[in-house]
Amino acid sequence: MTNLSVRDTNLPRRRVLRAAVAAAVVCTVVACSPVSNSGGGGQPGGDQSAGQDSFGTPADPAAVKQGGKLVIALSAEPDALDPTLSRSLYSRYVFQAMCQKLYDVNEQAQVVPQLATALPTTSGDGRTVTIPLRPGVRFADGTAFDSAAVKATLQRHLTNARSARKSELGPIDGVDTPDAQTVVLRLKQPFAPLLGALADRAGMIMSAQALRTRGDDFASAPVCVGPFKFAKRVPQNSIEVVRDPNYYDASKVHLDAISWRILTDASIRAANLRSGDAQVADSVSTQDVASLRQDTAVSVLQSQSLGYQGLTINVGNVDGVGTAAKPINRPLAQNAKVRQAFEHAIDRKALVDAVFNGLHAVACSPISPASTFSSAEAQTCPAHDPAKAKQLLAEAEVQTPYAVTMLASNTPDTLRLAQALQSMVKDGGFDLKINPVEYSSLLDEQDRGNFELLQLGWSGRIDPDANITNFVGTGASQNVAGYSNPQLDTLLTQARQAGDVEQRRKLYGQAVTVLQQDDALIYLYRQRNLTAVSKQIQGLQVFPDGVIRAAFAGFGK
Amino acid sequence: MARYLLTRAWQSALTLLLSTIVVFVGVRALPGDPALALAGEDRSPEALEAIRRHYGLDQPLPVQFVQYVERMAQGDFGVSIRTGTPVSSMLTTALPVTVELSVLAILIAAALGVGAGVIAAVRRGRPAEWLANGLALIGLSVPHFWLGLLAILYLSVATGLFPASGFVPILEDPVDNLHHIVLPAVILGTGLAAIIMRQTRSAMLDSLSSDYVRTAKAKGLRPRAVITRHALRNSLIVVVTVVGLQLGGLISGAVVTEQIFGLPGFGKMTIDAVFQRDYPVIQAVVLLTAAAYIVINFFVDLLYSVIDPRIRVTGDPA
Repeated sequence: MTNLSVRDTNLPRRRVLRAAVAAAVVCTVVACSPVSNSGGGGQPGGDQSAGQDSFGTPADPAAVKQGGKLVIALSAEPDALDPTLSRSLYSRYVFQAMCQKLYDVNEQAQVVPQLATALPTTSGDGRTVTIPLRPGVRFADGTAFDSAAVKATLQRHLTNARSARKSELGPIDGVDTPDAQTVVLRLKQPFAPLLGALADRAGMIMSAQALRTRGDDFASAPVCVGPFKFAKRVPQNSIEVVRDPNYYDASKVHLDAISWRILTDASIRAANLRSGDAQVADSVSTQDVASLRQDTAVSVLQSQSLGYQGLTINVGNVDGVGTAAKPINRPLAQNAKVRQAFEHAIDRKALVDAVFNGLHAVACSPISPASTFSSAEAQTCPAHDPAKAKQLLAEAEVQTPYAVTMLASNTPDTLRLAQALQSMVKDGGFDLKINPVEYSSLLDEQDRGNFELLQLGWSGRIDPDANITNFVGTGASQNVAGYSNPQLDTLLTQARQAGDVEQRRKLYGQAVTVLQQDDALIYLYRQRNLTAVSKQIQGLQVFPDGVIRAAFAGFGK
Repeated sequence: MARYLLTRAWQSALTLLLSTIVVFVGVRALPGDPALALAGEDRSPEALEAIRRHYGLDQPLPVQFVQYVERMAQGDFGVSIRTGTPVSSMLTTALPVTVELSVLAILIAAALGVGAGVIAAVRRGRPAEWLANGLALIGLSVPHFWLGLLAILYLSVATGLFPASGFVPILEDPVDNLHHIVLPAVILGTGLAAIIMRQTRSAMLDSLSSDYVRTAKAKGLRPRAVITRHALRNSLIVVVTVVGLQLGGLISGAVVTEQIFGLPGFGKMTIDAVFQRDYPVIQAVVLLTAAAYIVINFFVDLLYSVIDPRIRVTGDPA
């Protein structure tokens, strides 16, 4: 899973970021965010040292040539190019160029309007959400973008049998269209994460005409509003989009076409970048960053993450995820002290430095420091203390070294991480055994509950609810730990229904405290999304949602 | 001859049916669940159930098998679980790439291998033989992926002579097509070239010391004619057999080569499909590969009689 991160050791920068976030929160509350189709400005581009973010800068129109085809070497195949069905991060890369959303995410991890003209206004009871739409917009097929199209799209998200969006949209009861430029969503109960969902695939609006004519086959020739429109797809190999003359802000588009070429091997992607066959390579390995930085023709963008990588301890998943938790007769599952001991045995900073050359950031909670909802409580980190680990194991009356088997993906990066962990927790009294399996098998074993401890992560979403509740809420669909704590459930429910940002921030801080007491999920680090870009290219950006923004890029003159 | 063909056809059909069953069961015996692989991060019990229902994965295995065979009989390979694209259209795109790559690799391997083999045999004990033997040893020992990486590093990144990845269909631009595919074909052909060289060399040494070559020489034929018309022709029977047997290796080599050079062929499709547990794609690819094996073996047998008239196909396939 692809995750990104912000480094929490960079204090001056954090203060700046906090100030920006605070300003953003004020702005969000009074619904005054600027309208921007590219997510607004950026930070100074070029190479930064490890630990600093570099999102890329918008293109300077005077310095960019018109035309040309940008080739992006992509690390995995996008799935169906249908916003209702899509489930992979990689399809979001392609959608970014051809399927705009009601809202977008900017480099400060704020939600900003895209196809909407302003942030939504919510009624006092939190159950009516009104969204004003951008006028004069047309889909790639020439039909008008209006409230009817929004309604058709949202209804498809909510009713399609295979929809991946249904749960993200929460308790929507109905969609009204008082006029062509206004959409009103009626909710059964307040649902704060809705805005975050509309800034992702749930907010991508599809042409109503294309939905009528293509139906379930929409992915074969998707039609949305965007700077580019779908041209062709060669499965397992490439996807190409071409400039859309119908786009409302066409003057900002410089390229003629963008092609995503699927090259799963990181070194092959780097080689293609160096040979000039591709101008962008995503998911660069931390091992390759140093050599790429020495290449004067290439810059490396690094963006902070909203997700995390962590360790999940099976505390009750006996009959598979989603079933009622059952007791597991192992001290690690039964006794929180043993889990806390394991956490104290881990030196996260040393782990990140040794395994990822310090490029990723330490993480102790599901809430990214970049999030509007972060707080001091949410960023508290249990100390690395092997002596305390041993003491806790003694209190729990387990014999040391205490043997634990960890299920992990068999990728080189994960294996290096697992080996570093193995030697690290030894000092705390643990004998860690590694059981590496291929990714598909790992998912299967995880859901069946066939593990004691496992290493996996989450790519992250803009709203914290999407990064927490599904993983630790009682009976939640991705609660593979089989963890249940009614106090935490109450906190999370209150947080998702609270309309006030400050109140939500406080509740999530409390939730993190509970999570760290129980330690069913030990958060380790946040990946930084590393994207290598040829210096021929200007205006390519990667924001905290991890999505490469190439639509307004161009070849330098 | 007709009886032989009929027997072979019947055997081929049986092999194909058995392959179908083995592939179907084998794919499902893999750990991992295609619904989980597809659902990815956004999985929920409802989503998983909907995916399983949509692709018929919720049906009992025998039912799935019968449905699969029924569809196959109508030439319908189903749709990819990952991309939703019809598998037949994926095959139509991928097949020409792998066929072109393999044919080119065989041609390159045959030209290099036979040429070097003949030289090594004729120049026995001289530097030319040592050189040919040394190159063959390298060709046999070095894995495709490493050679491919080296080729990209030196011939694409450093010199820019060849593209590092990508593919242009031959009908779109034949020159660009060759530019993209020559390097992967050479890499793919190296192992086979080495094998062909060694077989040609030893077969040629046998032939050159045989009575009919001595007779040909005694008749006063020029050395070139003796080598090409008599010795080489008789040696080629061994080479053809070896090439036929090595085609399997070529297909597995294509998997790696296509992955490294980003060629949208069968090999790349297979790897991606296996990782994503894309059952319909894996089944179609493996089955077509099995069918290709059967057809190739059949033609190799037929080719024997063309090259060496002493071998005649009869009703007895043994």
